[in-house]
Amino acid sequence: MPPIRVFRKARRLLAAALLLVAASALTASAQDYDPKGSLTFATNADPTLNPWNASAVIESNLINTILFDQLVRYDPTDLRPAPGLAESWETAADGLSWTFHLRQDVTWSDGEKFNADDVVFTFNDAILVKELGANRASTFTPVDRVVKVDDYTVVFELNRPFSSLPYYLAYYSGMLPEHVLKGAENPLTVASFNKGKPVVTGPYRVDEFVSGAYVRLVPNENYWGPKPKLASITFNIIPDGNAQVAQLLAGGLDMVSITNPALLAGVSRNPNLEVIRQSQNIWYFVALNLDDPRFQDVRMRQALLSAIDREAMISAIVEGYGVEATGPIAPLLQAFYDTDVAHWPYDPERAKSLLADAGWTPGADGILQKDGERLTIDMPTGQFGYLVPATLLVQQYWEDVGVEVKVDTIEWNAFIQKAVVNRDYDAMLAWWSTPPTPDQSGYFASSAADVGNNIPNYRNPELDALWEEGRAATTLDGQIAIYNQVQQIIAEELPYLFLWYPDMIAVRNTRIGGMYDINSAANFQYSFNWFVKP
Amino acid sequence: MTAYILRRIGLGIIVLWLVSVVTFFLINLAPGGPSAAVSFERTASEREALLKLYGLDDPVLVRYGKWLGGVVRGDLGVSYNQGLPVALLLKQRLPNTLTLGLAALLTATILGILLGTLAAVYRNGWVDHLVSTITTLGMSIPGFWLGIVAIILFAVELRWLPASGIVSSGRSADFLDRLKHLVMPAGVLAFTLMPNVVRVTRSALLEVNRADYVRTAKGKGLPPNRVLFKHAFKNALVPVLAVLGLVTTALFSGSVVIESVFGWPGLGRLAIEAANGRDYPVILGATLLAGLLVVAVNLLVDLLYAVVDPRIRHD
Repeated sequence: MPPIRVFRKARRLLAAALLLVAASALTASAQDYDPKGSLTFATNADPTLNPWNASAVIESNLINTILFDQLVRYDPTDLRPAPGLAESWETAADGLSWTFHLRQDVTWSDGEKFNADDVVFTFNDAILVKELGANRASTFTPVDRVVKVDDYTVVFELNRPFSSLPYYLAYYSGMLPEHVLKGAENPLTVASFNKGKPVVTGPYRVDEFVSGAYVRLVPNENYWGPKPKLASITFNIIPDGNAQVAQLLAGGLDMVSITNPALLAGVSRNPNLEVIRQSQNIWYFVALNLDDPRFQDVRMRQALLSAIDREAMISAIVEGYGVEATGPIAPLLQAFYDTDVAHWPYDPERAKSLLADAGWTPGADGILQKDGERLTIDMPTGQFGYLVPATLLVQQYWEDVGVEVKVDTIEWNAFIQKAVVNRDYDAMLAWWSTPPTPDQSGYFASSAADVGNNIPNYRNPELDALWEEGRAATTLDGQIAIYNQVQQIIAEELPYLFLWYPDMIAVRNTRIGGMYDINSAANFQYSFNWFVKP
Repeated sequence: MTAYILRRIGLGIIVLWLVSVVTFFLINLAPGGPSAAVSFERTASEREALLKLYGLDDPVLVRYGKWLGGVVRGDLGVSYNQGLPVALLLKQRLPNTLTLGLAALLTATILGILLGTLAAVYRNGWVDHLVSTITTLGMSIPGFWLGIVAIILFAVELRWLPASGIVSSGRSADFLDRLKHLVMPAGVLAFTLMPNVVRVTRSALLEVNRADYVRTAKGKGLPPNRVLFKHAFKNALVPVLAVLGLVTTALFSGSVVIESVFGWPGLGRLAIEAANGRDYPVILGATLLAGLLVVAVNLLVDLLYAVVDPRIRHD
């Protein structure tokens, strides 16, 4: 056989083999996922595409999580801090600094290298500049400044220990591009960035932003991690929750998160939709204004909690999608959640006897009295979610034990002004959504009374010291011991009357693959894994 | 005529100025504040920084002065919550509201005049009763409820139309897609606006029918259609025009509800979101623009009277 024929034959064979390989590769990918697959989600208003802008809240958080990678993200199995843009980190022996080592293979979507300058800029020129009013700026008050050691090493210099820093860096804390935003008068309010096509480090970038209609993301060709598997992710802007569910049922949306479980009724009939139920770091509470001497007596707080049938409220208000709360650390934080604490089950008789111990006895009209003063509680509530019906139930329970409750229902923004800004209430019902860390000092510390998130204005030097110890503890066992103590004190002292931990409910189309069944804040950090089943 | 128009424009400016004064001081009297600053999570120091950034640390009169000075120079300020110039937001949203409004107005006018005429011609017959049932329903059913029912029927059950929004993603230039999105909101809005047109058309036609010249036309043996269209109709249009002026005003308040239900990115939804979030510059800008449009439409309607009825003169 002449050599040329051999060569030709070999070439033909090679071509056939290549074709086979290509074909098998195609079938493999066709079996894995649909390369043209796109997903559509909903958000309730125009997002602001800068995670630190004060207007970037619930409508923006998840989109920004996809767009802007963070130094740290949550481990999808236990929500502990895991490497993101930072490969590793360590704290100094005195706990007064944290060193973060950055990945060296990260580029921004415009091709520029990501490095220490971006981290330094994000903190020193944006978050830590008090006048800019950045989101969560108060969270980072233990951080004095961030110092660049070399192109891929930064040090967070602290004014007091802050062991939970990595947790907070994983919580809606995307990094900003120094080369784009430097020089702006206010890096948080650059309109072309916030409402246009920002330069990002995440797996997807903005392709189109139609105000009031939708934001469409496409894969970021310069992404450092695994290649994204979706052709696009669209967030349709739909303000109304009912309309979102209607759109989901009509097939126009692939996933909706449900805040009102009553809306689930129509969903369960649809075989293409699955309901995902997850524990999350949210606790509902009744805050009693502790500036009021009546509530400074701990027996009063214990009595008022014992008077509330929380089990009944959970089934009536959230249709069973929740767990009775014992404190601020939710069951989701398995390592820290302590069940061995004081419990205050529904017990109206115990409530009455505790109230009697505190000096409150029934008057002629059946309302409790002390020194001629009737026990009347002003309880304003805001029109949002299920706060109004929940407040009305609490009113019923308290009236059953002889307390007069005056409920005043007001518009949401006005309610926040009254209850949160002015602390003008006796009792109020609301919730806190917190990062998955046991360090919740911001909601309890004396320093956060009046001016911060310590809405009941609770002051307890013993607890203040424990929170600080928790921030200084560098070992997990050490932290667990401290936070167990914290939970025991809180369950006894009841700075808040803890109601329940609501489940996160998401309804999603069964065609979606690659999603972790964890809370959205963490799930959206892994959007590069998402795909559409073929 | 020119003097009349100039006088009306002058009056219009005064009306708009009064609208701005009332709106500005009302929203400042309302409890609460910009939602970014007045939120659960915000601490006192963060809140202070934001209020200062927004210029809300000045006394209210100073702020009004600054705002009015800006308006005179054509600067409506910057939205607190969106971070964009108010003028840009209005420019983005106005065409959407006009599209929805004109579609609804056109539908309501054509159907309204048609049904009103039918009701007048077949007065007290079954057609009249049917029309009056439809108009009673249109007047009494709230738009948001009808909107949700329409979504359940046409989007969820029948899947004929999209449930909400103005256009599907990635298809912003697709006319047919936009039209599909327009049908439900425009239809529902038209249904709530139509009753006024029907009732006025019907009563105006009945009134004209009793007029001497119509009786004369009938008396000289003209066919009923010719009497209706050549003699009666044009004269019945004057009150219909008047009610169209009113309907246009109702259009703005109606679109607030309809735009929220259907996720339609128009001025109404912008205004509602701004009011909920206490975005003062946007509330003021949207109110001023709505006021301007109402003043303009009323002027236009008054000028149209003269065209329809030559006896009316604007001197």
